[in-house]
Amino acid sequence: MSDTAEPRPKAYWSRIVDAIARHRALAVLVVLLIFPFVLPYEALASNIVIFGLFALGFNLVFGYTGVLSFGHAAFFGVGAYGTGIAIVHLGLPWWVAMLIGVLAAGVTAMIMGALAIRTRGIYFAMVTLALAQCVYYIVYQMKGWSGGENGLNGVIVGQIDLGFASIDLLDPMQKYFFTLTFVALAIFIFSRILASGFGAVLEAVRENEDRARACGYDVRLTKWLAFVISGLFCGLAGALNAIHLSVVPIEILHYHMSGQVVMMALLGGMGTFFGPFAGAIVFLLLEDVVTTMTTHWQLILGLVFMACVLFFPRGVWGSVLQWVRR
Amino acid sequence: MTVNLVLLQLFTGLALGSVFVLLGVGLSLIFGLLTVVNFAHGAFYMVGAYVGVFALAHLGNFWLAMAAVPIIVGGMGLVVERFLVRPLYGRGIDYPLLLTFGLGLVLVELVRIIYGLEGVPFDVPEVLQGAVDLGIGWFPLYRLFLIVVTAVLVFALWLFLEKTSYGLVIRAGASDPEIMRVLGVDISTVWLVVFGIGTGIAGLAGVLSAPMTSVIPDMGTTVLVQAFVVTVVGGMGSLLGAVVAGLLVGVVVSMTALFYPELSDLAMFMLMAAVLLVRPQGLFGRKGLMG
Amino acid sequence: MSHDTPILAVRGATMRFGGFTALSNVTADFPVGELTAIIGPNGAGKSTLFNILSGAFPPTEGEVLFNGTNVAGKRQHHFARMGISKSFQITNVFPELSVQENVRVAVQAMTRRFDLWTPRSRYREMIDRAVELLRVVGLENHRGRLASELAHGEQRSLEIAMAMACEPKVLLLDEPTAGMSPEETVGVIDVILTLAKSCTIILVEHKMKLVMDISDQILVLHHGEFLAKGAPHEIRANDEVKRVYLGEGRK
Repeated sequence: MSDTAEPRPKAYWSRIVDAIARHRALAVLVVLLIFPFVLPYEALASNIVIFGLFALGFNLVFGYTGVLSFGHAAFFGVGAYGTGIAIVHLGLPWWVAMLIGVLAAGVTAMIMGALAIRTRGIYFAMVTLALAQCVYYIVYQMKGWSGGENGLNGVIVGQIDLGFASIDLLDPMQKYFFTLTFVALAIFIFSRILASGFGAVLEAVRENEDRARACGYDVRLTKWLAFVISGLFCGLAGALNAIHLSVVPIEILHYHMSGQVVMMALLGGMGTFFGPFAGAIVFLLLEDVVTTMTTHWQLILGLVFMACVLFFPRGVWGSVLQWVRR
Repeated sequence: MTVNLVLLQLFTGLALGSVFVLLGVGLSLIFGLLTVVNFAHGAFYMVGAYVGVFALAHLGNFWLAMAAVPIIVGGMGLVVERFLVRPLYGRGIDYPLLLTFGLGLVLVELVRIIYGLEGVPFDVPEVLQGAVDLGIGWFPLYRLFLIVVTAVLVFALWLFLEKTSYGLVIRAGASDPEIMRVLGVDISTVWLVVFGIGTGIAGLAGVLSAPMTSVIPDMGTTVLVQAFVVTVVGGMGSLLGAVVAGLLVGVVVSMTALFYPELSDLAMFMLMAAVLLVRPQGLFGRKGLMG
Repeated sequence: MSHDTPILAVRGATMRFGGFTALSNVTADFPVGELTAIIGPNGAGKSTLFNILSGAFPPTEGEVLFNGTNVAGKRQHHFARMGISKSFQITNVFPELSVQENVRVAVQAMTRRFDLWTPRSRYREMIDRAVELLRVVGLENHRGRLASELAHGEQRSLEIAMAMACEPKVLLLDEPTAGMSPEETVGVIDVILTLAKSCTIILVEHKMKLVMDISDQILVLHHGEFLAKGAPHEIRANDEVKRVYLGEGRK
């Protein structure tokens, strides 16, 4: 499943895939750099890297630790609202606002994780879904801060002055590269974590909880920490999304958003490094194409997802890996 | 604030809780046997309401429509289990969950295509309109009807599970699937039937609540979350847990609505959080079922 | 460490599951450096005692003493970190990790549980230790394979290597030779005897001949109760033990 599994090369392709796997952070970056030039418009590219990051963070829990969370909308949403509120209501500089958003998502993950981790298996999905929906209601009711059902408007950063240069976030291309800078940094950190000793512990927990416990690992604490780290990454994605869209719609917190990120991870291939990005690309391109043809995007989405679960559980990148290594 | 007002609100809570009981029982029954969390449960609830609308329009009789809904929605459940869920057994507990999530999206969108986004009215027959004097104040007759129907249904289900031989098979299967294999019972048929019953009850819950809420394609979305809360509070796979937790959640929600209206949306989640802290397996859950 | 204090002991250990008493008021010492086997007919409570000793669950009543301190009720991972290590009755490895990584992860559990930054490939000394342990159990040539690809006997050996990874003071083995061919059994016994030189071993085993050959002490349980304890020749001569085993045989 994992990109780090021992290589058993046979074909020419497998060497290429292994090379990509070895320099995985770099490989993603190269693809993302040429992205805005091949896609129909830059905003879609920004969308893809943001949701790719969201799915990547989610996959730390789902793919690498083996726990299905249905509450990740909460971290994405709290990251976005935290950033948005800091800019709109507190008038803080953009980078402080982003930091606040990410930390708020982390704190949300700490609390939700502490409750949800007390349950196991299938319960986890239900509890995280319910707790995330609770966050939805809380934000919804703080109308003065969050704008309630209208969402939070006016999250506008505009010009960023770095001293030596200035970035105009109203220009889609510049905004893309601004977003990409953060995503690239996050991918690098994420890759380090996966390769680290802790990454090995996560794999061990996914493979066999009992055995991990007998080795001396505190499985509950490990899962909780993975959940919190995952929440931080998703919070960053949310913060970037708020700045990208200039608004924070309340739907961002709904459990359908959690469902979307689950779909992206599954579509791309859970437990693989590139899967979430592949999933985000497929998902958003599909959405982009389908919504121009019909208003019933959700029907197509549901059908594609069901087909994926039934016939294509490895997802896009997972299938590539399997095909190459067979 | 008078005592009577509180008592009336208690009844309102029981009526609300009745819907939760039906949802929770269906979800718990399916989980208890199949270890499948049905994420399309809310969608089946919604479909139940629309099937009720459709049946009422064509049959012209409220009672016939009420009877038709669980049969039709249960039948849909049978098809779903047989052709969509069954291929996923043995591939891990997450897959049926993900599949039913996708199915829920499809069902909601299909109903949108057929009926549009607008709410559809669902009228109660005259006999059930109006209110009755409970001695503490006037209470809507329909809500009382809802409580009674739920009580009768839960009792019937209990009779079925406790007193019939097929019920015995189901209970044996819930505690240990191996026993069924040893006894030579065709386990896949039992699973099929149970999935049908579970979805049928969800559909009935939908049509029963139709007169009290607006019938819209999204009506199942929130309900799914509420059903989850009920199941987590009661304990997964426990029918008694679903009944107690359903009523408890209903009463807690309606009481909060009376005393702290701004917290009414959050009350059930606080209850769930409290249960998770004190008794993570749920009020009536067995520890062994948590895996 | 005084030889009078047993490294591990149970005092009045009782375990009830619902209305069923699996273990009743068992008291026993496991002296430092000795190899003790727990035997008894089916349903004697061997596995229950094993699980209590290894920390899988606490006894309903009674104490588990480690170096004289009561540790009953501590969670499983604490037992591992104190130096009480176990192998499982059913083969229990990390199937999709390589053989070497299985052992390395087990070694890592003692030191770097929450290192989020250092690449695991830089844990040179852990890798060396893993390779060394694999050499002890005879798996050094299978390092790169996935654990799931190993034969059954090899997986059991891998498990022992993993149990040894935390430099345990006490090693608990639950039927280490279950399901093995005679040749594999001989190999595993060699490994166990090697390990017995450096640590205390407690094992649950069905094969009587094996138990008589390798044990220093034998603890016999019957219907969840203590029946006898002693050296192999004492147990062999014990009338009550004979009666229990012959009684079983008559059925």
